Amino acid sequence: MNWTNVLEFARGPFFKVALLVFVGGMVYRLVRIILLGWHKDLVPAKGSKVVGAFKSFLKGILIWPFIPWVKNTFKRNPLIYIAGGLFHLGLFVVLVLGTAHMLVWKSLLGFGWATLPLPIVDWMAAVTIVVMIMLFINRLINPVLKLISGPAEWLNLLFVFLPMVTGYIMTHHLWFRYEVLYSLHMLAVDVLLIWIPLSRISHFMFYFFSKAIHGADFGKRAVEP
Amino acid sequence: MDEKSIFEEMKGKGLSRRDFLKFSGAVAGAIGLTQLPPLEGQVQAASPRPNHNLSRVTRALETKSRLPVIWLELQDCAGCSEALTRSQSPTLGNLVLNLITVEYHETLSAAAGFQAEDAKLAAMKKYAGQYILVVEGSVSPKDGGIYCTIGGRSSVDILNEAAAGAAAIIATGNCSAFGGLPKADPNPTGAVSVMELIKDKPIVNIAGCPAIPEVFTGVVAHFLVFGSLPELDHLHRPKTFYGNTIHDRCLRRPFYEAGKFALSFDDEGAKQGWCLYKLGCKGPTTYNACASMKWSGGLSFPVQSGHPCLGCSEPNFWDGGGFYQGQSAPLDKPTLTAAGIAAAAGVVAGVGVAVANKAQKKSAEHEEK
Repeated sequence: MNWTNVLEFARGPFFKVALLVFVGGMVYRLVRIILLGWHKDLVPAKGSKVVGAFKSFLKGILIWPFIPWVKNTFKRNPLIYIAGGLFHLGLFVVLVLGTAHMLVWKSLLGFGWATLPLPIVDWMAAVTIVVMIMLFINRLINPVLKLISGPAEWLNLLFVFLPMVTGYIMTHHLWFRYEVLYSLHMLAVDVLLIWIPLSRISHFMFYFFSKAIHGADFGKRAVEP
Repeated sequence: MDEKSIFEEMKGKGLSRRDFLKFSGAVAGAIGLTQLPPLEGQVQAASPRPNHNLSRVTRALETKSRLPVIWLELQDCAGCSEALTRSQSPTLGNLVLNLITVEYHETLSAAAGFQAEDAKLAAMKKYAGQYILVVEGSVSPKDGGIYCTIGGRSSVDILNEAAAGAAAIIATGNCSAFGGLPKADPNPTGAVSVMELIKDKPIVNIAGCPAIPEVFTGVVAHFLVFGSLPELDHLHRPKTFYGNTIHDRCLRRPFYEAGKFALSFDDEGAKQGWCLYKLGCKGPTTYNACASMKWSGGLSFPVQSGHPCLGCSEPNFWDGGGFYQGQSAPLDKPTLTAAGIAAAAGVVAGVGVAVANKAQKKSAEHEEK
């Protein structure tokens, strides 16, 4: 048993199982939420629900991030807003526009795309790690957050933090041999994949549904009973 | 063993003192002077001259006699032997004529059949406990060893017999070091490495497909000069040569850092010499000296010539993902059917739980009424 074997396990059978759990688990969660039921339109809609949903996405992506100060969430705690935003941006850049990750997508989806140079991805990864630590400290000292944080919230942070940190150290060839960190990185990713459907990290999918449903409600322009 | 020292033999062949020193320099270089054993300090203290490494080698060549070598070829392709014949410094000619005496080598020896086998037995007896056993190719113990037999004897028998009297074993090439191609899935012959069978002898793995000839000559030179094997890593490979990855020493590394990748073998990136990572290069996890020592006398190595590293000095490299698939790509992924079944299971479980919940709610409401 050496690190090559661990790596083969983490990149091979464990990854496969983790991905299957992820797919099955996310579908389960989605079905459960959809079957909770929809509220009926009691009053005829004056506007288009589809346009409303569309507008809601555009505002969320193109407008609010650039004028955050008009939002209440920002006024109340700018740190969370900015750190949270940077975290999600960093995660997107690293996972989608990093070369190594694109190759994973390519092997799964069958097609690839252009990626960013390593230094840019690398800085974004560093920023992501730093803001994760900031958000962790914030959660530790903010009295309200402390009250509503259970084990699941701390595990969320840990399970996202581990792949980020192992990936960063691996890219920089620090302290350990490459295959050791590669193994740890893949093990952390596999654990995260299994954890996502069980946790609120599943918001990466539900976000789009709730955004669409809220947008449709806004677009309806009907008097609610 | 030969009574004459190496120096005396060379002198007898008419080599000058200058040639001898040149040869000593080549041997010292082959050992890899960055990682000399602890003796270095003592020699340094004793000798005020800066070229103490060379003088140590010279002294060894002056006093020691040639090293007997028995070379076994089992489930192999003779590629490592072929590569060795192209060794540059010292050349195989130099090595065979001056440093070692090859007592048995199926491909190189003039004798064949029973004659050759007799010569091997005689050498094993004469040099018992002194010879270096070189193994090329994997061993096949499956089904009583019937998949690889030489002269009617199984590869396991031949290896055990030769290993018993060896001072040390050099497993050259990926096949003998880690199982190599014969061990690749589904491994029909049950191929194993030398390390998996022989537990009681010092073994050095010179992994590679083929092994870099200069690494082989370096290890032999080290054994001759210092009387011991060089420092090894956790996979029994000499650290001097396997201390860095191909990626660490790659001449295309700056392009990796800059995110400039060749996307096919004939695009603009490939012509510009950009990084081959996206074409499946396994350089980051491959420990070998290709990028620094190079091949054919320092002329080039695969990545320099435009081909991604296959990772041939690492265990299980044949099963370590497609040669042209990115290294980060998973080794195993669910098929569409498997993913569909997982999704269907999710739907069934979700609907089931939702229906059960609703029924429970209804019955609770019913009871309230």
